[in-house]
Amino acid sequence: MTDAVVARGVELTYGDRVALAASDFRFPAGAITALIGPNGSGKSTVLAAVAGLHEPAAGELTVLGSTPRKERPRIAFVPQSTKVNDLLPVTVREVVAMGRYASLGMLGRFGPDDRAALDEALDRLDLQPLAARHLRELSGGQRQRVFVAQGLVQSHDMLLLDEPTTGLDIVSTEVIRQVVQSERADGCAVVITTHDFAEARAADHVVLLANRVVAEGAPEEVFTPENLADAYGLELNSSHEHVDVDDPAHRPTQTLHRHVEIPPLDD
Amino acid sequence: MDWLAEPFSHAFMQRAAVAGILAAVTTALVGTWVVIRGLTFMGDALAHGVLPGIALAVLWGFDPTLGAAASAILMVLGINVVHRHSRLNEDAGIGLLFVGMLALGVVIISRTPSYTGSLTGILFGDALAVTTRDIVLLAATLTAVTVTTAVFYRSFLVLSFNTDKAEMLGLHPRAAHVVMLALITLAVVASFRTVGSLLVFGLLVAPPATASLLVRRVPAMMAAGAVLGVASVVVGLLVSWYADTAASATIAAVAVAAFFVVLLFRPVSARR
Repeated sequence: MTDAVVARGVELTYGDRVALAASDFRFPAGAITALIGPNGSGKSTVLAAVAGLHEPAAGELTVLGSTPRKERPRIAFVPQSTKVNDLLPVTVREVVAMGRYASLGMLGRFGPDDRAALDEALDRLDLQPLAARHLRELSGGQRQRVFVAQGLVQSHDMLLLDEPTTGLDIVSTEVIRQVVQSERADGCAVVITTHDFAEARAADHVVLLANRVVAEGAPEEVFTPENLADAYGLELNSSHEHVDVDDPAHRPTQTLHRHVEIPPLDD
Repeated sequence: MDWLAEPFSHAFMQRAAVAGILAAVTTALVGTWVVIRGLTFMGDALAHGVLPGIALAVLWGFDPTLGAAASAILMVLGINVVHRHSRLNEDAGIGLLFVGMLALGVVIISRTPSYTGSLTGILFGDALAVTTRDIVLLAATLTAVTVTTAVFYRSFLVLSFNTDKAEMLGLHPRAAHVVMLALITLAVVASFRTVGSLLVFGLLVAPPATASLLVRRVPAMMAAGAVLGVASVVVGLLVSWYADTAASATIAAVAVAAFFVVLLFRPVSARR
């Protein structure tokens, strides 16, 4: 399997604060890579660096065989829904159409190919019935599907999704998961950041972060008690129950170590 | 209908109406982005930040438009310096420059012989003293703003949606932000003689904000904002004529009043 992303000694910083200490990692081509770790562990910063939005302070980052900035036209980026201005007076169709601006530029004419790509993206995310609705009229799950459709409508070889299913209803989560699997089947490299162990376990490749790469590889290689203890400071108990470790409801208040149950790897 | 036509039979009222209409359309195009992006504080600060340059122009006898433009550019640069070289948010820099420039302007004007008259003229404008040269400047500004808004529409739209997305789509969000600030500055500088530096802010924000209550798309917001702004100018001039009130202040007051009327009485379908 060739690699879509190769990082050698990559360090990511915000001024004096280190988001990712010098690290090596790789994201395979034509596969789903999940970036997982506690809040502030550097997941979104790594995604931004791969997108060419955050310049590494040190090291070498190769994306699709070149530098991230050069390959930007081949990368579709879906930002976190919380970082989007959802009060913008635009319809769903207009938001999704923005993805075509990557090829159209500031003045290119929206032609039949663009309209076909737009309709296909709306279909894939079950958004046709909502196409004329205003962004602020949608639920959180519907909005997130719009943002994913905006990424899909762009011609791309790599799809980056920043917490695409966080806080979503089951229907929207399932629609997005199907799209992610379909993208992978089409040979696209998909990278998602997540807090959800079940979502990460469904990926082909996992990178566990804690302001450094704690472990990377197949889910069963990464989700070991030692690695999770290292990343989260956890006591572990294997069970079928899914737990989001960043959900305050699952945080005991009187113990130093959080007690977390993770889904088994073999079901 | 004589009551409607009679005031506009006078040449100075015709000039005031033409200048006001040009200013209203210009500020509606620019103000739509100000409202959408939450830049109202920046717009307010720019409207006041032009004061020192105008004051120096009054004191030293050069073109106030040049003074206003120089002041606005200085202010934007100052805001960026504060933001980049401190841990303060951008709005703190805007507030500092806003107060500083306003104070500096008043200090400079206080050195002029006709302190009160100059200050009133700059802050509140004089729609009834508009010259042909002012109208030409406003027409040129409207043309430049219209063309630039059309060219940068996609950049402005995606920048308003998400900065990272605009960067990823190759729409140069940093350049687009600078162009947007330049357009706000241009609209303020070109309009201050008509409605004054204080009240230009009313036209910049009130008609687009009112439009946002009624329509659901950005181009429609610009069009509705322009119609509301033009209506505010005409109604404001008429009220000013018959009630013998200050024309510029009346125009701005009508524009703001229209917002609250629409807020209270807009159709149920527009409340979603």
